[in-house]
Amino acid sequence: MTELAAAGALAPATADADAGTAKVLSVRQLAWRKFRKNRLAVFGLVVLALMYLSAAFAGFLAPYGDRETHAQFARVGPHGLNLVDTEGQFHLTPFVYGLERTMDRKTFKQVLTVDTEKRYELRWLVKGAPYTLLGFIKSDVHLFGVEGDGKLFLLGTDSKGRDLFSRILYGAQVSLTVGLVGVALSLFIGISVGLITGYYGGWFDEIVQRIIEMTLAFPQIPLWLALAALVPPTWNSIQIYFAISLVLSILSWGALARQVRAMVLSLKTSDFVRAAKYANASTGRIMFKHLLPGTMSHVLVVATLTIPAMILGETALSFLGLGIKPPMTSWGLLLNEAQSVQVILELPWLLFPAVFVVLTIISFNFVGDGLRDAADPFSR
Amino acid sequence: MLAYIGKRLVIMLPTLLLIMAVGFFIMQLPAQDYVSQYVARQGQMGNTTAMLQEELLRQQLGLDKPPIERFFYWFFDFLRGDWGTSFVDSRPVTTIILERLPATLAISSLAFLVSWGVGIPLGVYSATHQYKTGDVALTTLAFIGIGLPDFLVAMFFLVAAFLASGQVLLGLNSPEFVNAPWTLARILDFFSYAWLSVTAVAFTGMALIMRVTRNNMLEELGKPYVLTLRAKGLPERVVIWKHVFRNALHPLVTMFGQVLAFLINGFAITSAVLNLPTIQSVYLSATFQQDIFLAGAILILIAVTVMVGNLISDVMLAWLDPRVRYD
Repeated sequence: MTELAAAGALAPATADADAGTAKVLSVRQLAWRKFRKNRLAVFGLVVLALMYLSAAFAGFLAPYGDRETHAQFARVGPHGLNLVDTEGQFHLTPFVYGLERTMDRKTFKQVLTVDTEKRYELRWLVKGAPYTLLGFIKSDVHLFGVEGDGKLFLLGTDSKGRDLFSRILYGAQVSLTVGLVGVALSLFIGISVGLITGYYGGWFDEIVQRIIEMTLAFPQIPLWLALAALVPPTWNSIQIYFAISLVLSILSWGALARQVRAMVLSLKTSDFVRAAKYANASTGRIMFKHLLPGTMSHVLVVATLTIPAMILGETALSFLGLGIKPPMTSWGLLLNEAQSVQVILELPWLLFPAVFVVLTIISFNFVGDGLRDAADPFSR
Repeated sequence: MLAYIGKRLVIMLPTLLLIMAVGFFIMQLPAQDYVSQYVARQGQMGNTTAMLQEELLRQQLGLDKPPIERFFYWFFDFLRGDWGTSFVDSRPVTTIILERLPATLAISSLAFLVSWGVGIPLGVYSATHQYKTGDVALTTLAFIGIGLPDFLVAMFFLVAAFLASGQVLLGLNSPEFVNAPWTLARILDFFSYAWLSVTAVAFTGMALIMRVTRNNMLEELGKPYVLTLRAKGLPERVVIWKHVFRNALHPLVTMFGQVLAFLINGFAITSAVLNLPTIQSVYLSATFQQDIFLAGAILILIAVTVMVGNLISDVMLAWLDPRVRYD
């Protein structure tokens, strides 16, 4: 990259001073550079990218379907891959041992024994439960799995014998997107309200500000609970999903609207807006073409930092049984099984979804911090 | 200053009115009210006569009148201190709330103290030992605290306490003390039991305060005046606590209200998990059972607490920082 970058109108005008040697970076490139410097932010971005990709391709990546039950193998702990067998022999292909359910003759309890005689090798691209990818690709090929009677429960199974790893991947589809839909909704409301009130001001602005103050004073989780209790139990999964994201966004648009309004207030007196007015630009054009882009960087930061709160909200609601309902699944709903100390002590692997929740929330926070630095690329 | 507080209080009134209205109508919205839930439950148990009494029950509870009319009755009764009667255990709402107020206040104030009292020193330590082992460990802990849902924090604490002591520390007192009078023995028992709930509730808030303190401290530590102070030969302790810390405190004060709201929010779910006799856990069950007067009253109480918390934090900020303008 030695050629002179054809920078846009936003680029710092140093190009002609030492043309040929200096590289002119656009604001966007500067911001990206700054973002890249923040190691944690890049880490967060990579983790999130992986998470969203695996959620999108959950059907392909998961060895089993999300509703596929293995009734014989309920409450099985993580049953992982091995490379070295009991005789100390190394195998190039990972394998799992066979599982067998037997009755203990003395206690009449069902016990699970690992049958080290039987080895099932890990196979790539095996056929299994049919699924639909991204809503239109129908397939039954899974990235990996074991063939025959072998079972591959990477993170164990739940009380109904469903593979937890597969269910976490499917749950990610709900947990990771419910926040996005919620934020998209509050972005839409927040930006429109912020633009209009900031630009026009006056009594309308006053009233809206009071309403926003009220929403900010409202205790979030109690209101979420009350609203989530409104969702009729007869609704289907998709309706409940959107209802929950609506509930999550109902309080968060206020903070966004305030941010946008404050920025519009300072931007609307600037020269470029006056120039646009004299050029007879319509109000809509001034608002969306000239004012909106100026607020975008901060809106992005606020939005990124709002998503984790919404994801946690969904988790909490589903944990309490007020959120996502089966047959749809989410991380909160998966954690709903781990309600008591006894269950956790008996089936500690049911807490694996929590690891994914924590990783996601932390990553969003890292990315948000990185974006905050990058939003102001000229500061040091 | 007084005028500022007065103005803020005046603004709070219409906000409160709106919150009451919104709270009331949210409680009214579900298609299934308490009576239909009750009748359905009775029907499941084979009691079909309840079905015939449905309208009568509704009349008794005043649920047959139009919502607007009921709102005004409820609203004026509420102002007079009559907060209605709980449908579920047919006792006055005020009695139920008062009964649970001591425990709620005890745990929330303890949790509040712990989250600030522990979070700030840890944050200062983290900032003054940036990138050292202690800081890395604390930062990791803080991020886990921020990332982990509150109810799971409580869960983990419960499990850890069980593994350590073999006791399930649910509630606030061991079973033999629950109905005992408040003697010294019960107080000691309370502390040996309640530390778990308090720490669990305080954990997320503590993590948040720790992070903010660390960031503020680091920002202040990078400023030239710190260099001057050190060049003057002031002991590091004085530089940190007398100068840097004081300047780093301002953004924390704005967080006062936020942390309060945070505690109250997180509390609702933690209470349910830990089975604490608090207002929040009643709120949860009241919401589930459509016990509208009880849930409504608690929602309003919580909203008022959050509003007062915000006011206190604004007033404290204005008092601490003369640059803040009152408008």
